[in-house]
Amino acid sequence: MNTPTRTSVKVAYSLAGGALLILAAQLIGQFGLAGRAWPPVMDVVSYVTTPAGASLLWRNTLVTFSSAAQGFLLGAVIAVLGAALALVVPIIRPGMDRFAAILHAVPTIALAPLLITTVGREDAPAVIAALSVGFVMFVTMASGFANTSSAHQDLFTVIGANRTRRLARLELPRAVPAFFDGLTLSAPAAILGATIGEWFGAPMGLGLVIVSAMQNYQMALLWAAAMAATIMSLLAYLVFIQLQRVAMRRFT
Amino acid sequence: MTRARSIGMGIVHLWPIALLLLSWDAWVVLNGYTSTVAPRPWFVIADVFTGFADYVPSILYTLGMALGGLVGGTLIGFVGAVLVWWSAALSGVVTPAALIIRSVPITALIPIIARIVGYGDPAVLASTMLICFFPAFVFTLSGLAAIPEAGRDLFTVLGANKLQVLSRLGVLYALPNLMVSVRITAPSAVLAAMLAEFLMGTSGLGALFSQARSYMDMERSWGTALVATVVSVLVFVGAQLMERRVESRLT
Amino acid sequence: MSSTATLTPMETKPAEHATRTAVSVNRADKIFTLSRGKKLQALAEVDLEVREGEFVAIIGPSGCGKSTVLRLAAGLDRPTNGTVEIFGAAPHELATQHRLGVAFQEHALLPWASVRSNIALPYKVAGRKVDDARVDGLIELVGLKGFEKARPKQLSGGMRQRVSIARALALSPDLLLLDEPFGALDAVTRRRMNAELARIWGEEKITTILVTHDVDEALILADRVVVMTGRPGRVRTIKNVDFPRPRDAATTRSPEFHELVDELTSLLDANDGDAA
Repeated sequence: MNTPTRTSVKVAYSLAGGALLILAAQLIGQFGLAGRAWPPVMDVVSYVTTPAGASLLWRNTLVTFSSAAQGFLLGAVIAVLGAALALVVPIIRPGMDRFAAILHAVPTIALAPLLITTVGREDAPAVIAALSVGFVMFVTMASGFANTSSAHQDLFTVIGANRTRRLARLELPRAVPAFFDGLTLSAPAAILGATIGEWFGAPMGLGLVIVSAMQNYQMALLWAAAMAATIMSLLAYLVFIQLQRVAMRRFT
Repeated sequence: MTRARSIGMGIVHLWPIALLLLSWDAWVVLNGYTSTVAPRPWFVIADVFTGFADYVPSILYTLGMALGGLVGGTLIGFVGAVLVWWSAALSGVVTPAALIIRSVPITALIPIIARIVGYGDPAVLASTMLICFFPAFVFTLSGLAAIPEAGRDLFTVLGANKLQVLSRLGVLYALPNLMVSVRITAPSAVLAAMLAEFLMGTSGLGALFSQARSYMDMERSWGTALVATVVSVLVFVGAQLMERRVESRLT
Repeated sequence: MSSTATLTPMETKPAEHATRTAVSVNRADKIFTLSRGKKLQALAEVDLEVREGEFVAIIGPSGCGKSTVLRLAAGLDRPTNGTVEIFGAAPHELATQHRLGVAFQEHALLPWASVRSNIALPYKVAGRKVDDARVDGLIELVGLKGFEKARPKQLSGGMRQRVSIARALALSPDLLLLDEPFGALDAVTRRRMNAELARIWGEEKITTILVTHDVDEALILADRVVVMTGRPGRVRTIKNVDFPRPRDAATTRSPEFHELVDELTSLLDANDGDAA
C-alpha cells in the first residue's frame, strides 16, 4: 500500500524536476546568462526540426551508433572470453588483472595515434569503444565469476563435475547478473570511446560534428549534437538497466 | 630462492606488458615502418628519458588539473548526495540532473564548457570536476542508504536530530563508498583533463600530444601517450592506497 | 539393519562377508594453517568405520570438527595425517564416479533452476540422460508434487531442504552425507523432516553419515551415534541405537529413548566441561 504511493511521488518529483531543469536551461539561454555559448533550448529544438539539421544529425548519429555498437559487441565478447579463460586457467589471472587495470588507466586519447596507424581512421572509433567496454566488462565478469558461493563449489565437487560442466552449469549462469551490470556500465563508455575516436579524423560521426561546430561557433548544432550523444547514451543505459533487473530476478 | 621466487612473481604479474612491448616492436620491424609512421618502443622510452625535462611542466599541469577536479568534483557530488538524502523534493531536481550528467559523453561536454567558460584553465578544471561529480554523488547516496535501520533507531531513541545522524553515522557509511568513487574516477579525471587540453591546445600533456602530432614528431607523441599512461596509473594506484587506508581506519 | 542389497550396479559383493566397510577413517588429523602461520587443529586421531547400509550420526558441540569429518569423507578436504578410504579407494574417486550424494546445511540449490532441474542436476553433470521417472519418483518421495516448476526462492526453508535431499538421492548414490541438513529449520519442521528422512531412508537404505548437534534427531535416524569432543575434535564414544524401526512417536516417548537422550546430552555437556 505504502510503496506504490511513494514511488509515484518520487516519479512525480523527478518529472517536475526534469521540467524545471529544462525551463532553467531555456531561461539561462534566453537572458544570455552564460553568454552566447548557451542558446535557449527552443533554438536548439527548432534547429533539430529543420530538414537540413535533422538529416545532418540523423546521419551522424547513425555512424556513431554503429561504431559504438560494433565496439560494444567486440569488447564485450573478448572481455567475457578473457574472464572465462582466466577462470579456467588460474595461472594467467594475476597478469590479466594487472593488464586490465593498466588498460583502464590508459587515457583512451593516448591510444588514438596507435590505433589510427594500425586500424585506420574509419575503424578507430569502434576499436576505442571496444577497449573502453572491454575493461569494464572484464572486471565485472571476473568478479562475477569469483563470487560463486563455496557451498555451490562444494556441491559441484561432490557430484563429480568436470571443468566444462562446472563452467556451463554453475559459473556461467551465476555470472549473468554481473554480465548485465557490466553492459549497463559500459554502454556510456562505448559511446564516449566512439566519439573520442571520431576526434582523430574520422570522416563522419557525432564526435566530428561536435568539434567542428565548436570551432565554427555553430552553437545550436553543437548543443543538438551533444544532446543526440547524450540521449543515445541515456537510452542505452535505460535499456540495459531494465535487462539487468530482469536478469537479477531470474538468476538470483 | 626468494630472488627466483620474486622473478617468478614478476613474470606472473607482468607477462602481458612484456608481451605487448615485444609485439609492438615486432609489428614495427616486420612491417618495415619508418619512425614517421610508428616508432619502436625503445626509441619512445629513450625520448621520455632524455627529454624528460620537456615533459615535466606538462605532467605537473595535467596532474594538477586532474587532482583539482577530482577533489572538487568529489566534494560537490558528496554535498549533492547529502542534500538529496535530506530532502525528497530536492531529489526530484537533482536525480534527473545527475542522470543526464552521467549520460553526457565528456567529448560532448568539453566543447560546450570550453565555449561557455572560454579556453584555458577554468574550462579544463570544470571538465574534470564534472567527470568526478556523478560517481561521487551515486556512491555517497548508496552509502547513506546503507545506514542500517538499527543504527538509525538507536539515534532516534537517543533523540538525535538529522544533522547528528549524518555526522555520526552517515559520514561513517558514506566515506568508504566515497573513496571507491575516487578510485574509479581517478583515471577518468586524467582522461578528461587530457581531452580538454588536447581540444584547446593551451598547456598540459594533451596539448603536448597535439603539438607533437602536428609536427609529425612520432617519438614525442607516443612518448606523451606513454607518460600519460604512467601518470594515470600512478593516480589510480594512489587513490587505491588512500581507499585502503580509509577502509582500514573505518572498519 | 544391514543390507548389501541391490542398490548399486557397480557393486560386486564378496561372498565371505555379509557387509563391506563403506567408510574407514584411520587416525585422521586435520590441521588448518591460518593467516600468519597460526595453526588450528580441527581433528586429532579420529577413527571411524561405517559398514555398508548403515546409518551413522555424528553429534558434538559446535566447532568440534564433525563437519570436517564429513568433508574428509566427501573428498572436499584431505587429512593432514592418517587415511580416509571410501569403499577401499580415495574419497574423491567416489565423487568423480558420481556415486556420492551430499546435502549441506546451506541447501546450495541453483537459484535460476526449477525444483525439477535442481533434482536432475546430478544427471546433467554426470553427462547421463535424465531419468524422468526417477526424478518424478523423488519429487513424490520428498512430498513436492505440484511444485516441480517452482524456483527455490518461492519455497519455504523445509521445502528447499527436501529438494536438496532429493538431489542428493538422484543417482542412487553408494554413500549419502548429510551435514546438518535441517540445522536452519524451526523445531516443528525439523521433526517432520526427521520423520520423512527416516521414511525415505527406509525405502532407499543407502549408507548414510549424518552430522547434527540435535541428540533427538540422531536417535530417531541412526543405527549408531558417534559422540565427538571439541578442540581438537576426537571421538569420545560410540553408541548403538537398537530401537526398532519405524521409530514413531511411541518410540520417542518411551523411557528408554529419554534415558539415551539424557545420557548423550550429558556426554555433550561433559565435553564442554573438558574443553573449558
